[in-house]
Amino acid sequence: MRARLYDGQTTAAQACDLEVAGGVLRFEMAGEPRLWPVSEIEVEALGPDVRLTRRGAPERLIVQAAAWRMSSGRTRAADRWRAFRLLAVLAAGGMGILLSVFVGLPLAAGPLARATPPDLEHRMGQSLEAQMTLAFPPCRGEPGQMALQALGTQLGEVSDSPFPIRVRAVEAEMVNAFALPGGTILVTGGLIDAAEPDELAAVIAHEVAHVEQRHAMEALWRSVGLGLVLDAVVGGGTGVTQQTVLLAGAATDMRHSRQSEGQADARGQALLHALGLSSTGMATFFDQLAQEETAGEDEAAGTIWAVFESHPASRARAEASQARARAGRPGFTSEAWAAIGAACDRESERPGRGP
Amino acid sequence: MTDINPPAGASEGLRLSQRARLRDYLGLSLKVGILNLLTLTLYRFWGRTEVRRRIWASTYLNDEALEYTGRGMELFVGFLIATALTVVFLLVVLGVQLLGPLGLILLAPLYIGLIAVVGFAFFAATRYQASRTAWRGVRFQLSGSGVKYGLGYLGRVFLTVITLGWYWPAAELRNAAPLWSGLRFGDQSFAFNLEAAKKENLYGPFALAWLGGLLAYGLIAGVAMMFMGAETSDESSVPEGVRFGAVYLAAMLGVLVMVLASASYRAAVLRAVVRGIRFGGVRARLNLTAFAVLGLILGNALLAILSLGLLLPMIQARTARFIINRLELEGQADLAAVRQTTDRGPRQGEGLADAFDISLV
Repeated sequence: MRARLYDGQTTAAQACDLEVAGGVLRFEMAGEPRLWPVSEIEVEALGPDVRLTRRGAPERLIVQAAAWRMSSGRTRAADRWRAFRLLAVLAAGGMGILLSVFVGLPLAAGPLARATPPDLEHRMGQSLEAQMTLAFPPCRGEPGQMALQALGTQLGEVSDSPFPIRVRAVEAEMVNAFALPGGTILVTGGLIDAAEPDELAAVIAHEVAHVEQRHAMEALWRSVGLGLVLDAVVGGGTGVTQQTVLLAGAATDMRHSRQSEGQADARGQALLHALGLSSTGMATFFDQLAQEETAGEDEAAGTIWAVFESHPASRARAEASQARARAGRPGFTSEAWAAIGAACDRESERPGRGP
Repeated sequence: MTDINPPAGASEGLRLSQRARLRDYLGLSLKVGILNLLTLTLYRFWGRTEVRRRIWASTYLNDEALEYTGRGMELFVGFLIATALTVVFLLVVLGVQLLGPLGLILLAPLYIGLIAVVGFAFFAATRYQASRTAWRGVRFQLSGSGVKYGLGYLGRVFLTVITLGWYWPAAELRNAAPLWSGLRFGDQSFAFNLEAAKKENLYGPFALAWLGGLLAYGLIAGVAMMFMGAETSDESSVPEGVRFGAVYLAAMLGVLVMVLASASYRAAVLRAVVRGIRFGGVRARLNLTAFAVLGLILGNALLAILSLGLLLPMIQARTARFIINRLELEGQADLAAVRQTTDRGPRQGEGLADAFDISLV
């Protein structure tokens, strides 16, 4: 079998004769015999030719593919067992990552959150609040802020929260409330405008429950795992496989967020009961939300997308809260409620501006 | 063809040709896609290696195919190292945030430093690929300092930012220069002639691309503000589906405008870089028009979209064939004088470049 030989030192081609006998390829280079076991030879198809190499050897041999097939009985680097073993290890690795990220990490997120030093969580909350203040400046009505804080303090005392509870109203039109890591709860002006007193009290109790159970920290651990780890494993990626894995990660994250919301509803109501306060506001608040949701959009979309929303469908939450509701004292006195209503009122707290 | 024509000694002219048959990449694409799925994409390092082997093996210089000698494991180890570095970086960012307001000031240099890391990663990826490329059994190498390249890259990005983008054409040539002047085939050096590269008219096409970019950005931002701003002010007037549809459509249009406007610049930059390359007495020329680039980009985009990204290997082969077959080499090089060196290049692959998603093939 004739071959073109490159010696791995220069670019000059040399003519060379190859012989295969007893599973060994034999050729001569500069008068020296070379013996390559056929099983160790890598074969690369080059049109009508093949290129023969052996790992670690500098020489390259180019022979006609047909001639090589005839004399060696094979055309491929047939280390199929090696390739199969690699695939098995990779598939097992992928499965292991899949299990640990989708099952292990969400399970571990709760214990991890509770094991996080409260001081660290508190500092993270401060840093986050500083960033949020840029978008949502605090409301200026101090009496209203104090009334909100009073309820927060009471709820905090009956809870097992590792942090003192701090409640602040912020200027924002949307209807929302946030529990930051480390015990700070932000309530938007839009929520204050939209809610009845008992409803606002219920929302604050819900957020206190988030703080107590360290859900913000848990969500952080979970999203670190699902987002960063998965992203690192699949390499960001634009292919359909990468996107599928990342979407599955996002869906898992959402599923666990919804569980946390349901827990916080129930625990929030229990905290209100412990203070002898009414917990009926929770149900009416979600009822109102559910009505607005169905009024604005068609219902079919509402049910389909409920799977992907972080809050369980408001209707279901309203029903669950209704079943747990108990009557009691109002969460805010009428004076307190008046002060809260004025807290984010721009005209009232900036003397000298406007009529 | 195994006819033996030992070179006569002396100098040789050079001819490049890319002979990939795209239908051969259908099966390979499918195989890589399925194995990626089975292994949670961990197979991608081996898949990429196999695709490169195929593309290299169908690229012929003077009727002898190039050889890609990289291994999937090298890319995988590079990936692990890059992942470890990323974790360290994120821990530093987290730690700095806990320092309070002062920490936020420290974040800026950290993120600016990332630009230098991108440059370093690009250099390292090129070095890896060069060292895993051989022809007639002799390896290529990239010499030079990745750190120096990263810092230079950072400087050029800075100049681009303060000139509102207008330094970018000059920056692109200077980004290419160290990669070509540092390239070696065996013990023989390539060179990059910046003056020759500069003879290509870059600023005319760039002006077009710049204005197109401005137009596209204005279009997307305008539509987004018009429709997304409506969310807070007046919810009921425009249904949500229509709003998202409009923004999506604007984004697609914007991208199309950008592709159309920048095609002639992309072609010009490639022509300019190729014009600067020297190896011995060999000079290169790229016969590439804006229309050809447009056809390549739109064809690739279509293949990618219709196959949901599965045909990426075919797209890479198509791109390689497209560029290489438009290369013309003139002049002679003394190939008989080339000697292999003992430098085998970096031990592991382009992990950092992979992390930043900037490797080309």
